Amino acid sequence: MKKFSRIWLRKWGAFPLWGLLILLLSAYPSTGASGIELFTATQIFLWVTLASNWNLIGGMTGYLDFGHGVFFGIGAYTMGILVTNTSLAFAPNLSFWQALPWTGLIAVIFALLIGWATLRLKGPYFSIAMLSTFAATRELIRILRPVTGGGSGLDLPPVLNRVGDYYFMLVLMAIVVSLIGWIRRSKLGLSLVAIREDEIGAEMRGINTTFHKLFAFAVAAFFTGICGAFWAWQNTYIDPDVVFLQNRNILMIMMCMLGGLGTVWGPVIGALILYLLQDSLWSNLADYHLLSLGILLILIILFIPYGILGTLKNNKISLLDLLSRRGFDTPHR
Amino acid sequence: MNQFLQALINGLLLGGFYAVMVLGFSVLWGVMGVINLAHGEFLMTGAYLAWLLFNTFSLDPFISLVLIMPVMFILGFVMQKYLLNRLLERPSLATLLATFGISVILANVHKIIYSADPRNVAVPYSGSFEVMGLSFPIVKTLIFAIALAIMAGLYLFLQYTRLGKAIRAAAQNKNAARIVGIDIEQVYAITAGICIALTAAAGAIISPIQAIYPFMGQPFTLKAFTITVLGGLGQIPGALLGGMFLGIAEVMVATYVPGIGINLGVVISLLVLIVVLILRPQGLLSGLRKMQTD
Repeated sequence: MKKFSRIWLRKWGAFPLWGLLILLLSAYPSTGASGIELFTATQIFLWVTLASNWNLIGGMTGYLDFGHGVFFGIGAYTMGILVTNTSLAFAPNLSFWQALPWTGLIAVIFALLIGWATLRLKGPYFSIAMLSTFAATRELIRILRPVTGGGSGLDLPPVLNRVGDYYFMLVLMAIVVSLIGWIRRSKLGLSLVAIREDEIGAEMRGINTTFHKLFAFAVAAFFTGICGAFWAWQNTYIDPDVVFLQNRNILMIMMCMLGGLGTVWGPVIGALILYLLQDSLWSNLADYHLLSLGILLILIILFIPYGILGTLKNNKISLLDLLSRRGFDTPHR
Repeated sequence: MNQFLQALINGLLLGGFYAVMVLGFSVLWGVMGVINLAHGEFLMTGAYLAWLLFNTFSLDPFISLVLIMPVMFILGFVMQKYLLNRLLERPSLATLLATFGISVILANVHKIIYSADPRNVAVPYSGSFEVMGLSFPIVKTLIFAIALAIMAGLYLFLQYTRLGKAIRAAAQNKNAARIVGIDIEQVYAITAGICIALTAAAGAIISPIQAIYPFMGQPFTLKAFTITVLGGLGQIPGALLGGMFLGIAEVMVATYVPGIGINLGVVISLLVLIVVLILRPQGLLSGLRKMQTD
């Protein structure tokens, strides 16, 4: 019994702590936090969610998606088109909650279509095909002016609700991180890791690799689409350049690299650190902040390729081991 | 008919530029397996250097080529020697991300130096001449001629010089090359220097007809990838064929599909890329090294 509880604690022990953290965070708005503080917290939740999603396909399955922002963009544009009432060819003028399910759904459909073609490519071919998809979708959105507003963008209804935004992103983050934690511990997650380590071996073992890859891709696309939709709603304005932002792709990848590829909690830690860092870089040296991020990316690759959690694990530092044994596994090779 | 022939000519001229643009990318990939995501940014650097020399010393970009290439050779040499050589034993993600980082750095350094305003190099001889009712823009024809010359030069260099043979040996079998006494690290650094110099040369020769701005690079990188996959890694004739194919496809779409212009270049190259990778993952021609698609 004692042994069982230790195994249970190792496997699931991080979840009660995660729940406790979410509970504590949900009390934050009632402590009299200012609007800008709530906004910053909301952005951090958004980035944690995005990075965790990228980690599902990039870290666990080992398919390094260099254009994951395309789903963010699809979600944002679906939301934009569905809620605006400007003189577009198609303007249903829905409310936020009516439009939200569609954003995820359209992102999933797009992911299945594009994944069907790109997921059969391996390694760098997949990465660059996704980068191309990202750039190509941006161009298409720019050209489809009657539906998307083209280069001049779309104005969404201006609604300011910082507390509502905060709770929306908190709940979404809680769901996504828990879901990915659960996937990592389930047979499904083990299959994904098996695909990463040896795809042909996994296939021979009887894992339906196509299904698993598409599934991971679709889940990541769904929540990324929802994130994009939320971002569009919060930002109240979208155009191809702000939605399909190259930096967003880079940041998602960097957050996972910094925290530890393929770990459940790595993207959470990485997103927190990197968001705060880039926020302070942006406000202190605006012109140089992207430059510093590029340099940071190279430093991470050179000196901590396994990320924070991976490095701790490799050095047998077991402090965090207590939290989640399964969270640490050999990073992607 | 005349419109078709004119589009074909324009496509061929564009294709010649694409072919020389892709050389650096293709050889770097073929010789050491590095997919250089900063390719377009090195091209942009070359274009900015050409603009700078044109603006300050009114040097023609087709002449300042000779000055730009050595400078960029050093940049490429240093990048390979002190950064990428350390990552070669790592999974391919490492070099991919490192060159991604370099592309971010280069684009933003140029944005800080030159601001994001587009620049252009206004050469004095921008007209066109006619042959049999078809018009040939002077600048584009000149670009085409220089592109062919550069390609021929690289081909002869790789085929007949000692260093060129060493580079090919390193591409074919790293360990065997090491055994016969080739300093792989040094050869890699020199190769990278040559590749970056070629890329910057492509940027310099395109500067008269292309708006130069810090974030112009990405489409070039993506097109270079497509052309390399089409033509085979490190293959000079393949680069020529792939470049021509993409150039003609782009111009044909721009000519015959109304209301789109040349903005669809990236979309076309994505479609070509996906079709080729699915139907013929080894590329249309075999290259210096086999593409590892699984």
